[in-house]
Amino acid sequence: MKYVCSVCGYVYDEEVEGVPFSELPDDWACPMCKAPKSLFFAEDSEKDDVKTEHIDVIDEDMTEIPPLVLSQIFSNLARGCEKQYKENESKLFTELSEYYRKASGNIENPSTTVIAEKLSEDLSSLYPTLRERSEMLKDRGALRVTVWGEKVTRMALSLVDRYEKEGSSFLDNTKIWVCSICGFIYIGDTPPAICPVCKVPDWKFECIEGGNV
Amino acid sequence: MKKFAVRNIRLCTKDCLCLYVCPTGATDTENSIIDIDKCTGCGDCAAACPSGAISLVPYDYPPQQKKSERVCSAVMNLAKNKAAEERTAENIASETDDKNLARLMKAVARSSRLVSEDLLREGGYMLPQSSISQDLLASLLENPSAFIPAENARKILESIKCNDRVEKGGKFRCSVCFHEFELEDGDEHICPMCHSSKDKLERL
Repeated sequence: MKYVCSVCGYVYDEEVEGVPFSELPDDWACPMCKAPKSLFFAEDSEKDDVKTEHIDVIDEDMTEIPPLVLSQIFSNLARGCEKQYKENESKLFTELSEYYRKASGNIENPSTTVIAEKLSEDLSSLYPTLRERSEMLKDRGALRVTVWGEKVTRMALSLVDRYEKEGSSFLDNTKIWVCSICGFIYIGDTPPAICPVCKVPDWKFECIEGGNV
Repeated sequence: MKKFAVRNIRLCTKDCLCLYVCPTGATDTENSIIDIDKCTGCGDCAAACPSGAISLVPYDYPPQQKKSERVCSAVMNLAKNKAAEERTAENIASETDDKNLARLMKAVARSSRLVSEDLLREGGYMLPQSSISQDLLASLLENPSAFIPAENARKILESIKCNDRVEKGGKFRCSVCFHEFELEDGDEHICPMCHSSKDKLERL
């Protein structure tokens, strides 16, 4: 039997490895992307077995954009200007992004549980909705962002879950990296040679420094 | 389409062939950045470069791909959730004494921001030249009480022009299907018959 990593596509072949997948220790992780055992699926289980029931989300009013989403739109457009070699405009967009970042309210009693719930909601209903619509409208770009986003979100959720179960000691003496293109989070002393999700080279990874923000 | 040359310093191996072929000396600068005031956009440097370090970028970008409202609204719902994840993670990172947790939360916040930026690009905010970006900036001008948003929006709108709407209406002919038609100020700048883009349309 073969087991496939749902983040990077690595195949664990029981015949080659000699150890049945079920007998691997609980803390075994994908050798390519460090995804936990729980993110692997059996190859013959076929994707449509895991077809999850999801509620088609009701469309919200597009005119009301919350401040932090405005901040994200503007930091994205700042990047867009940078790529077009428009330095001044990029700076102006960055200032706009920072303005709306500060204008956005804080969360009362922030907890990792809240984050885990939000990430789970992304995976159980919001991404499936986007996937369905992208496929229906043959929007390959939107489908691409769905594929990347789901993988990155799965990995983020598995890390938050792990923290909730066993605390933060698994991060002792090791670095945390984020791919600056797709947002994939990787734990290790050095970043992977290529990003397991979006395939950019290692120098596109940012090291998350220090303690407090 | 008028273009100018840019050098990717990470790829440049200083073989200097661009210096030999440039007719205006635009590639020979003390800071390695090609002088766009001198660059004529001929492309000889890009063709001669053995490392593929020089590329030509346009002054005017074509309109971005059209996005359906159904995709845009699904993207917006995700962006809202990603924003909540980002802010919650930031708040935890700044409150906790646990250095490891703080790093993990900073990573989650950064990751959520990057994923959301990517989503919003596919949800219509790809180019600052697009009408959706331009309309958003214009809406900031309507709130004069806040200085930064209005002032920055005004400056950006002054230097980056919309690339998918007709600034001044009039009669046009499509060079692809020869359809003749009228467009009003602010209409989408495409042929209503065959949907050819604005560079295929001639003003009559």
